[in-house]
Amino acid sequence: MRLLSGRHLRELMEAYVGEPEGLPPIDLEGQSAFIEEYFAAGAPELKMLFAVCGIALRALSIFLKGKPFSRLTSHEKDELLNRVMSSRNPLLRGVAVLPGLPLLMSYYRRPEVAVPLGFDAKALKEESNLRVVTRDRSLPPKAGQGGEVGK
Amino acid sequence: MILGPTDVKGDVSRSVDVVVIGSGAGGGPIAKELAGEGHSVVVLEEGGHFTREDFNLDPADSYMKMYRDAGQTITLGVPFILLPMGKTVGGTTTVNSGTALRMQRPVLKKWQLTHGLTEIGEDELNLIYGHLEEYLFVKRADPEVAGKVATTFLSGAEKLGLSCGWLPRNAKECEGFGACAFGCPSGSKQSVDVSFIPDAVKAGADIYTRCRAEELRVSSGRAAGVRGRFLDPATGRPNGKRIEIEARVTVLAAGAVFTPYLLLRQGLANSSGQVGNNLQIHPATQTVALFDEPLGPPKGIPQCCYVDEFKGEGIMLEGGTVPPEIHALALPFAGRRNARLMASYPNMGIFGGMVSESDSHGRVLDLRRPGNRPAMLYNLRGRDVEKARAATVLMAEIWFAAGAKRVFTPFAGHYEITGPRDLRRLERSRVRAGDILGMSAYHPLGTCRMGSDPKWSVVKHTCESWDLEDLYICDGSVLPSSPGVNPQLTIMAMAMRCAGFIDERLSA
Repeated sequence: MRLLSGRHLRELMEAYVGEPEGLPPIDLEGQSAFIEEYFAAGAPELKMLFAVCGIALRALSIFLKGKPFSRLTSHEKDELLNRVMSSRNPLLRGVAVLPGLPLLMSYYRRPEVAVPLGFDAKALKEESNLRVVTRDRSLPPKAGQGGEVGK
Repeated sequence: MILGPTDVKGDVSRSVDVVVIGSGAGGGPIAKELAGEGHSVVVLEEGGHFTREDFNLDPADSYMKMYRDAGQTITLGVPFILLPMGKTVGGTTTVNSGTALRMQRPVLKKWQLTHGLTEIGEDELNLIYGHLEEYLFVKRADPEVAGKVATTFLSGAEKLGLSCGWLPRNAKECEGFGACAFGCPSGSKQSVDVSFIPDAVKAGADIYTRCRAEELRVSSGRAAGVRGRFLDPATGRPNGKRIEIEARVTVLAAGAVFTPYLLLRQGLANSSGQVGNNLQIHPATQTVALFDEPLGPPKGIPQCCYVDEFKGEGIMLEGGTVPPEIHALALPFAGRRNARLMASYPNMGIFGGMVSESDSHGRVLDLRRPGNRPAMLYNLRGRDVEKARAATVLMAEIWFAAGAKRVFTPFAGHYEITGPRDLRRLERSRVRAGDILGMSAYHPLGTCRMGSDPKWSVVKHTCESWDLEDLYICDGSVLPSSPGVNPQLTIMAMAMRCAGFIDERLSA
């Protein structure tokens, strides 16, 4: 079951991710599927809170900006999110912070996003496969790496 | 053998010498030691068994597979604190950073004076630490593979004349793949899943995975084993198969949150009223620094160096580098500001500050939530907020000394620090617990503390329950306070000690 409508989720994704230069656009289907999976594996309350925060952001949009979230320009959405995020009221701030967790994670975990930023998990995994470490004690330690511990 | 739910054809009923609940820093060493002494040992582990081949440097994937609640465990209080805990063979050691420090000497003195733990001697502990360090290949992080984030941070600390260095880690031939918290992909990190558990299995122990302990068996006033259920790997829900282990000795090593939760649910071992109380964690803040030039490739050791100038005041700085999906969450902005900074991901470094000796205490509640999820209450007290702020200021000073142009902090009103003026403003401002954005914490401890007085403690210095004969508790919950550093080595040391007492009991 979807947490929020596709349109609302897309609006939130776009607002949080914020059109990074030189990186691909959001992938609503793929990222939504990840978010569903991520919440299914986690605490049920968090999934509910995510939906609540999405609705609360809509209400805050009307209260602080005088129009619905969907009608805000991307600049206004940006302003709203960062304003709420800077609040010294922890509950209010939480409304903007919590949705960022799955939304940003779902975007930056995509290889087509992470690789141009310099993080290629697949290449690192392949490299690590060439360097498997065992508990064999026959290897001599590298120079200068004694067993000194404690301070 | 390591047995998953598909290896088990029906209900399991067995009689053994020792049943261990949990396969982490407490349970793993006990299973290995006692199986090695020839005792029949069964371990129940709620999480799955994953190996090097499964570790693909994908943080979200490992959160979902190997962390409790996909890493979304949150304490209730001000502020909400994210408390990630492992749920896999090896427990949190499989997904920790591999820091392997001995406890601080003054802490042991405090345990002896305040908790009456005079039987735990410094010489004895040092002998055990020495053995563990050899067994786990503990050595200081290699600066050549540490990564530029770490070397840059340390250069800043050195410029300021602060006490700092490379952390001892339980990693053998580490090449810095940067994924300790998501499962070491080369098998370098000597977590319990690649050290104690394989050796326990070689010595004859059986490990049941995806197997949740639900009830301790009690017979004639003594612990007599455990009942539990196997879980479906896909849903995490019971799959219909049950397990019942009758044991001469029962060891509860499910961690400082789940151990008291299990006891509270049954109303066991709690004549002191201390089960679930005294929850201590290491709250942490982080700073992100932006440089003009790239800080090198993402390879490096995520947590490899420290600044311990203020360890006496309970502040330790430890950290390094994280993948983009985690990095984006550490920035205190959303939308375009976040995107603009993320475009400079290669030019950024991240470092954490840990309140290693906290004045705040929380508790694990006897509150039944669906899916075996305990609730934890924890409020960060004023002095700890001050420590978190001091750690943040110190990290920012170090970053600037290392050449950073801007530093981002989690304190509302002080998200962006551009120089000394902003820093002084943060230093002078009145901060409250609720001002900290997205705080995380690690190392839950103290909820079944050991001590010499049954009125104030849950277990004896041997880790045996004061109330229930043949029940031993051995995990982070028995440490009466934080060891002042990352606790895995101390939990293992207590487990080795505890195994000796259990062996004596069984051999008598």
